[in-house]
Amino acid sequence: MNDIVRMTDISKVYPSSNVRALDHVDFTLKKGEIHSLLGENGAGKSTLMKILYGMNAPYSGEVVIYGEKKIMSKPIHAIELGISMVHQHFMLTPVMTVAENIVIGREPRKGILFDRESAEREIQKMIDTYGFNLSPKAKVEDLSTGEQQRVEILKAMYGGAGIIILDEPTAVLTPQEVNDLFAIMRRLKADGKTIVIITHKLKETINIADRASVLRDGKMIRTDIQVKDTTIEELSRYMVGRDVELGIQRPSLEIGEVAFEVRNLNLVEREHSILKQINLKVHRGEILGIAGIEGNGQSELLEVLTGVRKPTSMELRKNGELLKGDARAFIDQGIGHVPEDRMSQGLVASMSIMENLILGYHKRPQFSKRGLLKDTEIEEFSDQMIEEYRIKAPGSRTPCKMLSGGNQQKVVIARIFSEDPDIIIIAQPTRGVDIGAMEYIHSRMLDLRDEGKAILLLSADLDEVRNLSDRLLVIYEGEIVAEAERNQMNESEIGLYMTGSRSQKSGE
Amino acid sequence: MSFLQDNMVYILVATISMSIPLILASLGGIFSARSGIMALGLESMMMTGAFTAVVGTYFSGNAYVGLLAGMGGGALISYLYGILCIRYKVNQVIAGVGLNLLALSATTLLTELIWGNRGSSPQVASIQLNLSFLSKVPVIGKILEGQSILLLITGVFVCVAWFVLFKTVYGLRLRIVGENPKAASTMGLKVKAIKYQGVIICGMLAGLGGAYLSIDHIDLFQRNMTAGRGYIAVVIMILGRYHPFYVVVAALIFGFSDAIQIYLQGQGIPSQLMQTIPYVVTLFVLAFGVKHIRPPAGIGMHEDDH
Repeated sequence: MNDIVRMTDISKVYPSSNVRALDHVDFTLKKGEIHSLLGENGAGKSTLMKILYGMNAPYSGEVVIYGEKKIMSKPIHAIELGISMVHQHFMLTPVMTVAENIVIGREPRKGILFDRESAEREIQKMIDTYGFNLSPKAKVEDLSTGEQQRVEILKAMYGGAGIIILDEPTAVLTPQEVNDLFAIMRRLKADGKTIVIITHKLKETINIADRASVLRDGKMIRTDIQVKDTTIEELSRYMVGRDVELGIQRPSLEIGEVAFEVRNLNLVEREHSILKQINLKVHRGEILGIAGIEGNGQSELLEVLTGVRKPTSMELRKNGELLKGDARAFIDQGIGHVPEDRMSQGLVASMSIMENLILGYHKRPQFSKRGLLKDTEIEEFSDQMIEEYRIKAPGSRTPCKMLSGGNQQKVVIARIFSEDPDIIIIAQPTRGVDIGAMEYIHSRMLDLRDEGKAILLLSADLDEVRNLSDRLLVIYEGEIVAEAERNQMNESEIGLYMTGSRSQKSGE
Repeated sequence: MSFLQDNMVYILVATISMSIPLILASLGGIFSARSGIMALGLESMMMTGAFTAVVGTYFSGNAYVGLLAGMGGGALISYLYGILCIRYKVNQVIAGVGLNLLALSATTLLTELIWGNRGSSPQVASIQLNLSFLSKVPVIGKILEGQSILLLITGVFVCVAWFVLFKTVYGLRLRIVGENPKAASTMGLKVKAIKYQGVIICGMLAGLGGAYLSIDHIDLFQRNMTAGRGYIAVVIMILGRYHPFYVVVAALIFGFSDAIQIYLQGQGIPSQLMQTIPYVVTLFVLAFGVKHIRPPAGIGMHEDDH
């Protein structure tokens, strides 16, 4: 048989919470394949692969690698068998060089000395073989996310790994970097490596994988799916357990007058022009999407439009009236905003759901009186939100850090949407969120739009912007370079604007 | 002219001799911090080293045995610090400050028990070897001739520390552990063992620094002998960017402020005022000097954190 890994009847129970993360799961890997392990967040994908990588002992069941039964209790056991894992959160040391990061634990030596030259030479050879654009002497902190991921892949292969597990590798990448990664994966496959890609993105599975397995709530729903014989719809049904509407477009029925207008927005910091001459209008009943590769000024734009950062110049009007002040004033004026990073800006992770649900709105008479919080009322409100927004949680007093990414995002969204703002500025609403929650968040946004709210959407997910937006702008290096109505531009056209290869301003 | 020259020589001699214990302690601190454990217990390691060095010399009659006893005492209490921080994952600030308080009261109590006097021990044998053979060296000969042999040992240790940290496989591993214990552990490094080693090397060097204060300087142990030098060594370590060579420079700045203080005390200026100089310097360094210095990223983290 060419099954190089066979995992049989694997179960894993976390003793602290008594949660059964994996329930009698079987899984096999064939030599030289790209295998997509699909599932929603919390379905047990990473748990299963961490068992294979020796990071998740103890477990019950049997792991057979290259025909021999093995007990995986430490990553080093797996590494010695040629199994490596590239984690979602990179295991790199930013202040050290590419070479140092890659060779750690198996350094070439001269006596007791670290043989830096031969390490760098070997790694340069690998870099040349795979056509990575990297220097072994570069410090990891100076590299982009995509480059850091390549360092992780080199680290996995150094020492000759035959099996590489990639945990959600595309979550942190731009569309261009995803293409590069897929090219690398194909080259590794041609080289005879076996690759597991852990993901919840169906399109990626269809694009890159040979076979797929689907986990749901710790159970293996289907394994040995031949990707060429399946469809996105079929895979999503296995994954969620019901039919999901994905990528359905729901154009606006009625676009009203201008609700929110930005004129002449410039931001210069340290003699560096970050936002250049931005003008935009959002109408009632409209979603205006801003597409762009991350780092082109979206974060700054979001902060300026929510009053967190002071622009160099800007004229901001809400329903025709000039708007001024700080973040507090913006909230009070009915501009709700969902920040791009829920963990650092949207939530206080160690605080409970009910506390997070009233953050920023805690002074409302509904929630507090003379500086004292009304605990009972807040909890009632919170219970109601948990039900309404289908937040999966043990209760209102659960700390937000205990929730999955999708449910954390629902808490942020519930907080903003329940305040009934006229204008909603929403950034990366579904980053790191599973399909079920994504579908729900999108439909809530569309509902609010149909109620006549004006929504400004910033997202790095091109599919998301294209499907939701009634009108779309493309931002590149702090400048709006293109504008289009729904479905006026296709994906590759938008891509050209996003990378600066084209601009409507300079007349194409 | 000659008056000024004599005073300058006096101050420089004092600068060097005041710097030695600080260099040794902060050098030790580097090994601890680079392995991921902030060396806040340095004061306790110096104090214990100063005490055990006197005990060792007192009972053996040999100051070199005392030096080894000083290193041993420092190592012992640093092992305790390691158990707290590594095994029981106690907050490093709390563990460090706690041990510092413990060392102060324990050495005071033991001084009372052994010698029947809680203020100080009797005078013990001292290290006789000095660098007088260097007195013929032009210019710096005058400054070096009175210095203890420990100056030479300290210099050797500084170079060895640099070599070990930045040239050997062991040093690379120690630094990776201090930056990212989780990454180190997945690559099969024995993270806990390396941290214990870092902490114990720290204790030995700080203990030696303490021993210098007691048996090489005034040949007895006094209550609260280190008087906050362990804390100053922490500042020196940070100001020296956790690098053996820069730490020497930083220690000399503090040694100089100490020397000036001693010198000015002899000039009729109120001593209480002058004694504050090193601490005022520390305050300024903390306020203005260390802002942009990045500590090892893994300080306070464990390989099995989630």
